[in-house]
Amino acid sequence: MNFAFSDEQEELRSIVKSFLEKKSPEAAVREQMETESGFDPDVWSQMAEQLGLQSLIVPEEHGGQGFGYVELIVVLEEMGRALLCAPFFSTVVLATNTILQAGDDAAAKDLLPGIASGETIATVAFTEPAGKWDEAGIEMAATASGDAWTLSGTKMFVLDGHTANVIIVAARTDAGVSLFVVDGDAEGLTRTPLATMDQTRKQAKLEFDGVSARLLGTDGAGWDTLSTVLDLAAVGLAAEQVGGAQACLDMSVEYAKVRVQFGRPIGSFQAIKHKCADMLLEVESAKSAAYYAGWCASEMNDELPSVASLAKAYCSEAYFHAAAENIQIHGGIGFTWEHPAHLYFKRAKSSELLFGDPTYHRELLAQRIGI
Amino acid sequence: MNIVVCAKQIPDPAEPGELDPETKTLKRDGKLILDESDMYGVEMALQLADNAGGGEVTLVSMAPDNKVDGIRTGLAMGAAKAVLVSDPALAGTDALGTAKVLAAAVGKVEGADLVLTATESSDGYTGTVPEQLAELLGLPSVTFAKHIEIADGKVKVQRQTDAGYDEVECPLPCVVSVTAGVVEPRYPSFKGIMAAKSKPLDQLALADTGLEADQVGWAGGGQEIVGVEDAPEREAGEIIEDDGTGAEKIVAYLENLKLV
Repeated sequence: MNFAFSDEQEELRSIVKSFLEKKSPEAAVREQMETESGFDPDVWSQMAEQLGLQSLIVPEEHGGQGFGYVELIVVLEEMGRALLCAPFFSTVVLATNTILQAGDDAAAKDLLPGIASGETIATVAFTEPAGKWDEAGIEMAATASGDAWTLSGTKMFVLDGHTANVIIVAARTDAGVSLFVVDGDAEGLTRTPLATMDQTRKQAKLEFDGVSARLLGTDGAGWDTLSTVLDLAAVGLAAEQVGGAQACLDMSVEYAKVRVQFGRPIGSFQAIKHKCADMLLEVESAKSAAYYAGWCASEMNDELPSVASLAKAYCSEAYFHAAAENIQIHGGIGFTWEHPAHLYFKRAKSSELLFGDPTYHRELLAQRIGI
Repeated sequence: MNIVVCAKQIPDPAEPGELDPETKTLKRDGKLILDESDMYGVEMALQLADNAGGGEVTLVSMAPDNKVDGIRTGLAMGAAKAVLVSDPALAGTDALGTAKVLAAAVGKVEGADLVLTATESSDGYTGTVPEQLAELLGLPSVTFAKHIEIADGKVKVQRQTDAGYDEVECPLPCVVSVTAGVVEPRYPSFKGIMAAKSKPLDQLALADTGLEADQVGWAGGGQEIVGVEDAPEREAGEIIEDDGTGAEKIVAYLENLKLV
């Protein structure tokens, strides 16, 4: 078994990296994070039309390229490194995976070609004001009248919820948690962008007042689907976190080499060396966890649920630690608005909490491996 | 519209370059990537073939050790096929020798209407190969193209100048060198990267080109690098104290250097 990336996957990495170096440098990140939509439509189109990133894991019969999770985590890692501001995670990792996992051919045929071409921005809305990431947290009601469904209630912290054209909503029917597809501009839907600590990833509050919706997949099977999607999302986020953590380590090491204090580079001081060595150890371990989880996700094997939680818990802490140490190593300048360290710090914190914090995932891991 | 693009594969400029202490030339034994300045030519060629409603883009390259990584990038972008000339006898080949090899490789491509090159490579910077290639192929040549249009068997080129650009026309077939930065080279998809592996790649040795070993390599160049020295350290500048005549002294200094 070979866990190394193939030459072609490395080529994909280098192309995505050079694309993001040009299209998502720090100046572009700062520009986009100040906007309400939070992304550059031209960059989004180019990602779809040339690199085909939105279509990477979409099956060929639905206008995609039909590749798997190993390729996707390569892309997500580079996006995390560059702090790309775009609705990629919501559209590809959340919505595309949900549509694929729901086993609803008609919906796949209807929705996936638009996602693959970059025309559709999609997301999944499942968290409610209680802020829970589990099945019990889904209380929103879906009411049937004939074949049609209507939704009423509130969804919170919906990634890119205010810009998505298609929103997949988890709500309860008599059969249990089910998934529904709602158009972004549906009547009765009020979308409010939320002020977020991490400005590089936009969130919205969605209020549903008798919004008509289409059922996705089987009535009552929503949580089974969503549970798998959350595992896949945890793996995707872990890969993103690895990229961000590596960026923090690179920044720290570079600064430790050039910043001179007391007549010598600060990297020669043991306190700084130890910080960098600890960061390296954690970043490398995080990579191993995220890559292995990526492989499990591409195989969709039985290990996925436990490995997803393991990777999410470990990579969250590795990234947050690297982002915090990066500020310490930079000293005063690391604490300024002008330096990018705070952008990584905030992304690390928000990603740590997204889909459940490390404590939550350790508990899940314990349950999943039966201890 | 069949277009040939000369594509040089160079050591990654992001890595620190090293000279071979024996040959005193740039080490090329690591991974080679497609020279960024050639990506503009590949992009222009793909656009021109598209606009013409069909035709193939073929890459030609000369590289040591049958290296193909850079060519694969061009194929992933959308070129249809490639010709690579690689032979130990080519080590040390100078610009003219390179042009001879590329001319022979271009000759292997049937029905080429247009040959595109960069103005210069990012590792050698001689900037002479395009014209040498045109001469060897017996074709007219236009340099420094910032925009190319093809109509009625002619190529219309906006040729970049210091002040702006000239509009130049030239009959096809011809050789056109493309200025860096004039188009945005497309980024290939993973599907393109995978497809590049199975695109036709014709690998030629020196003997296949009809050239003799004494026309290329160190022998063909008739030159040798006798020594390599570090660039001299920058010397301390002249400090002019402004006692009211500072500006005049600076002008006099610049005049002395014939800069004003």
